[in-house]
Amino acid sequence: MRAFPRRVRWALLLRTLLIQGSWNFGTLIGTGFAFVLLPALRHVYRSDPEALEAALARHSAVFNSHPYLVGVAAGAVARLEADGTDAALLGRFKDALRSSLGALGDQLVWSAWRPAVALLAIGLLLVGAPWWLSVAAFLLVYNALHLWIRTWALNVGLAEGLQVGQALRAAPLQPWTHRVGRVGAVLVGFCLVLAVADAGPRPVALLVAAGAAVLGVALAQRTPVVVWVVLTVAWAVGILIGAFRGPLS
Amino acid sequence: MIADPLTLLLLTVFGGWVALDGTSVGQFMLSRPVVAASLAGWIVGAPVQGASLGLVLEALHLMVLPVGAARHPEAGPAAVASAGAYAAAGPGAAALLTAVIFALLWERIGGASVQQLRKLNMALATPPAQDALSPRLLERRHLAAILLDFLRGSVLVGCGVLILSFLLTAVTPMWGLGEELPRLLLIGALAASLGACSRLFQERRASQLLLAGAACGLLVLFFR
Repeated sequence: MRAFPRRVRWALLLRTLLIQGSWNFGTLIGTGFAFVLLPALRHVYRSDPEALEAALARHSAVFNSHPYLVGVAAGAVARLEADGTDAALLGRFKDALRSSLGALGDQLVWSAWRPAVALLAIGLLLVGAPWWLSVAAFLLVYNALHLWIRTWALNVGLAEGLQVGQALRAAPLQPWTHRVGRVGAVLVGFCLVLAVADAGPRPVALLVAAGAAVLGVALAQRTPVVVWVVLTVAWAVGILIGAFRGPLS
Repeated sequence: MIADPLTLLLLTVFGGWVALDGTSVGQFMLSRPVVAASLAGWIVGAPVQGASLGLVLEALHLMVLPVGAARHPEAGPAAVASAGAYAAAGPGAAALLTAVIFALLWERIGGASVQQLRKLNMALATPPAQDALSPRLLERRHLAAILLDFLRGSVLVGCGVLILSFLLTAVTPMWGLGEELPRLLLIGALAASLGACSRLFQERRASQLLLAGAACGLLVLFFR
């Protein structure tokens, strides 16, 4: 394997931050993937502009991945291009990677890490921490894993090439997902008690808040829409009453 | 009303940045409601108000998972617009209720604008077949799509701030049911959202973990 210069590796990493910039219903992140790969392709095909354009065209096709793990694909493809790998094999390799990178990232990041860290921020606000502490804790804790994943993904892709599947299977992403999920479940209970307690001290208010929590458990993903409807109707009634009768004390 | 044009400009620029953070650039979670609303409130000079709005919106957004090409509401710019207008209007439970409702509506509009942008990106990011795909052309088109997303977010926030400011000034003062009811409604919304999150983490012994967390919460209340 020809190693890429450090400036090319940095360019790849930084460009992964922009990969979803042209997300569209045609190529999904295909165009962005080609954008990320360009520094590596320019390096590989620096004396062959036609080959560069041909490589660009094949890597602008439909592609999708979790944005934090796309470095696995980008690094591996960059290495395979440098090794002169057959274009058809490259295409099959990308197709095989697509769904696994998406699923891994969705499970670890969107379904576990992000909500768990958001609950940390919510919990800090509910215990009375300053707003800036909640925001700083959210951003620092969340992005510690975020940036580690991006860097790790690109390094794994560049190092392993076609064998990247083995590296993904060996990585502790699944165990981390479960650990984060357990922490998240604890944080849900913690925040729920504090939120209900905020309704106090009147017993009726506490009962209403507790009832709302139970309703949320029952409604699950429909909760935001139901909440929106209830709040809107209540608001409209309050405005109409105020408009016709004047504000109550 | 937001009287200061500079503040409005700062909010629209911040809103554009937040719109980018949602998908196009980085995804560092500046676009999360608790972050975006707090910082928007800080821009206006009332971060605690922004954070209180962000708290409710964040809880409502915990169940929104951006998996695949699913259409979902866009929380970030809506949080900036609502927090900016609410923070400038001054605290009040009825005003906060209005801001939350508006934010939830504006998120849907934001989400619809994202869908339109993605359709536009099909024309922008995939040039006609007869054009050779040069590296420079690809980079320019990709970056142009990012610029469009920024402008989209900025316009969304600017319009949102102005509309909600009008509502808070002209309509919300008509609220006729006191301050306790909107406060209770919002706490109910927060509790319901957190209750919904009990289904989010599908772990073994999830109910035991929930109870452990609840016990920690009770301990905090005991010592508070």
